[in-house]
Amino acid sequence: MEVDEDEVVPTVKKLKNKQRVLLLSSRGITHRMRHLMNDLEALLPHVKKDSKLDSKSQLNLLPELADLNNCNNTLYFEARRHEDLYLWAAKTPNGPSIKMHVQNVHTMDELKMTGNCLKGSRGLLSFDAAFEDTEWGRLVKELFTQMFGVPSTARKTKPFIDHILTFSIVDSKIWFRNFQILENDPSQPNGPPQTSLVEIGPRFVLTPIRIFEGAFGGATVFSNPEFISPAATRMALKREKGGKYNQRKDAEADTQRRKDSRRLEEDALGVSKVFS
Amino acid sequence: MGKINKFKEPATSGSKPKSKKLPRPSELSVPENLVSKSGQQESKGKGKAVAPASSSIPSKAIKKIKAFSPEPVQSEIDDHEEGSDSEDDGVDEEGMARLMKALGDDGLDELGQAELGALEGEEGDEDEESECDEEVLELGSDEGEEPSGEEREDESAGESIEGIPLSDGSSDEDVEDGEQADIPLDEVSNVDEDVVPRQKVEIDNKLALDQIRETVKLDSTLPWTETLVLSYPHTIDVDVDDDLNRELAFYKQALHGANAARALAAKHNFPFTRPADYFAEMVKSDAHMERIRIRLLNESSGIKKSEDKRKEREGKKFGKQVQIEKLKEREKSKKEMEERLKALKRKRKDVLDGPKANDEEFDVAVEDAISDRPSKRGKTGNGKSIPRSVRDKKFGFGGPGRRAKQNTKSSTDDFDSSKAGRGKKGAGGPKPKGGGSGRHSSKRLGKSRRQATRSK
Repeated sequence: MEVDEDEVVPTVKKLKNKQRVLLLSSRGITHRMRHLMNDLEALLPHVKKDSKLDSKSQLNLLPELADLNNCNNTLYFEARRHEDLYLWAAKTPNGPSIKMHVQNVHTMDELKMTGNCLKGSRGLLSFDAAFEDTEWGRLVKELFTQMFGVPSTARKTKPFIDHILTFSIVDSKIWFRNFQILENDPSQPNGPPQTSLVEIGPRFVLTPIRIFEGAFGGATVFSNPEFISPAATRMALKREKGGKYNQRKDAEADTQRRKDSRRLEEDALGVSKVFS
Repeated sequence: MGKINKFKEPATSGSKPKSKKLPRPSELSVPENLVSKSGQQESKGKGKAVAPASSSIPSKAIKKIKAFSPEPVQSEIDDHEEGSDSEDDGVDEEGMARLMKALGDDGLDELGQAELGALEGEEGDEDEESECDEEVLELGSDEGEEPSGEEREDESAGESIEGIPLSDGSSDEDVEDGEQADIPLDEVSNVDEDVVPRQKVEIDNKLALDQIRETVKLDSTLPWTETLVLSYPHTIDVDVDDDLNRELAFYKQALHGANAARALAAKHNFPFTRPADYFAEMVKSDAHMERIRIRLLNESSGIKKSEDKRKEREGKKFGKQVQIEKLKEREKSKKEMEERLKALKRKRKDVLDGPKANDEEFDVAVEDAISDRPSKRGKTGNGKSIPRSVRDKKFGFGGPGRRAKQNTKSSTDDFDSSKAGRGKKGAGGPKPKGGGSGRHSSKRLGKSRRQATRSK
């Protein structure tokens, strides 16, 4: 029997970027951190927000959680001592993970951020040239592209381009800003089209601490030498304050010692010797 | 200066004694990072040349690191090194004693113990011990300071013994430029966050980073519309503390991105601009935007108000003077007006009194009087002007008219002369009173009739 072998034409599937991000926090989170999380949830439609993670030490549960929710990325906000915030960004099956320290958080609620954008619109991502200068920078760029960049296949996306997220490396920290793109200058509504930007927020600064090979664990492939933990910063400040007394006492003892060392014997022609 | 202990006055640094002293910034890796950006180069430089060796850390040490809070023992080590010029090999004998207590026999083998004994024999210095204690005590109040110090000692001690074979190891760990490979500890990945890593290792495994990136990166065949990623071609080189310029740099980056994206979107036929009639849920609610708008309005009105108030305040200073001047001027002008009118009235008295009061001419005269620049014609107007002959006689040839003698012999005898009785009035001749010039001024009407005429 002749079997005509049909030519199997390999259907060229149009490659799409499929990303889903699991967003969660640890316990002990403050209201500012919580609002930041909510802001990110509002801005990124491909994000799935989950309940708080109970234990901070069992981070190996996170890849499983991500699997459960069909997510291939995770953004985990770890709050420590009710004042420090760390952000873990990981690609969950077995991808790399970055631990970063979050500072200078300003949420969208602040009245100085006057911009607004469509909920679910896909934002542009802009990385500055410093990301290409270092290896870790390139990796971070790749990871952020997948996490903060909304894929076109996400369900809640809206069509137009409304806002732009900028990442810049200044002082070896990553600065994040979110701007709304306006066509015309708001003061001249009928003027010629001139792009202007208004900040929507949120804004924060990330200090990379370590990059691990695996998700939430594994070998360290990068550690930032310029990172000081916030606890150490506080300690150093306090010590500085406390050291003033000690320094003064030391200085006093010094002076005394020097004076003593310079003291001379009574001269032969001294008053007490002559008029003894 | 025999009294001075060499440990108190190290030859290298001519500074004050180390008792009760803060660890110097160069010795501490922690505060230096606050002060300057040079990293912990100096602190690392002081340590011994031992390679990063994660495997050499005893497991006990790791656990203890996790448990205890930070303490910059490095300073201790460095102090001694600076002062003693490698006499004690960077290890404090007091610390070693504590260490031994904690670890028992596990810490050192016989060789190590022998060395320790040798060290102990050499250093019987009280000051050193007190130094250690003070250093340790002043560093925070958390429990477990001492043991953690011991841990550090242990590691450094352990590595000093096994240092050489390990220095070649871990070939895949590139150490960043500028860092001398003398920091032995590798930071364990699951260390408690509050523990300050005393001796930091810089790891920058470029190869591994590259490989990882290759595995995770997105397919490069994806069109731009899938990722919407833009690269800004410039680095941002601004002072971090200069807020305005920093934000300006970010703004510029975003602006560049937006414009580039517009071009790219046009190329890929990707909808870019949101039409004005597209209504959908926004990230910030309408109520929130309203609050923003109100705040902006309040701001601008506040600014305006303060501007106005400032102007008023400044104006007030000069306002008083201006006011006074204005009042004065007003009074003056009033007075002037009054005077002029009075003068006019006086001169026109008889005219007014009579029925033949020519209003128009009076009005003209009044106007003339109150105006600043009286007309050149003076008070003559267009009334009966003096004939040429009379003028000639009066003003011509030196004008004898006024100045001529009047009361001469001939005039006293002359009773019918034309100018009789008019001498006085004749002086005002060339200026006849307007209408009613034929009238004799002596014919003054009675009071009531005068008033009546005036009131008309």
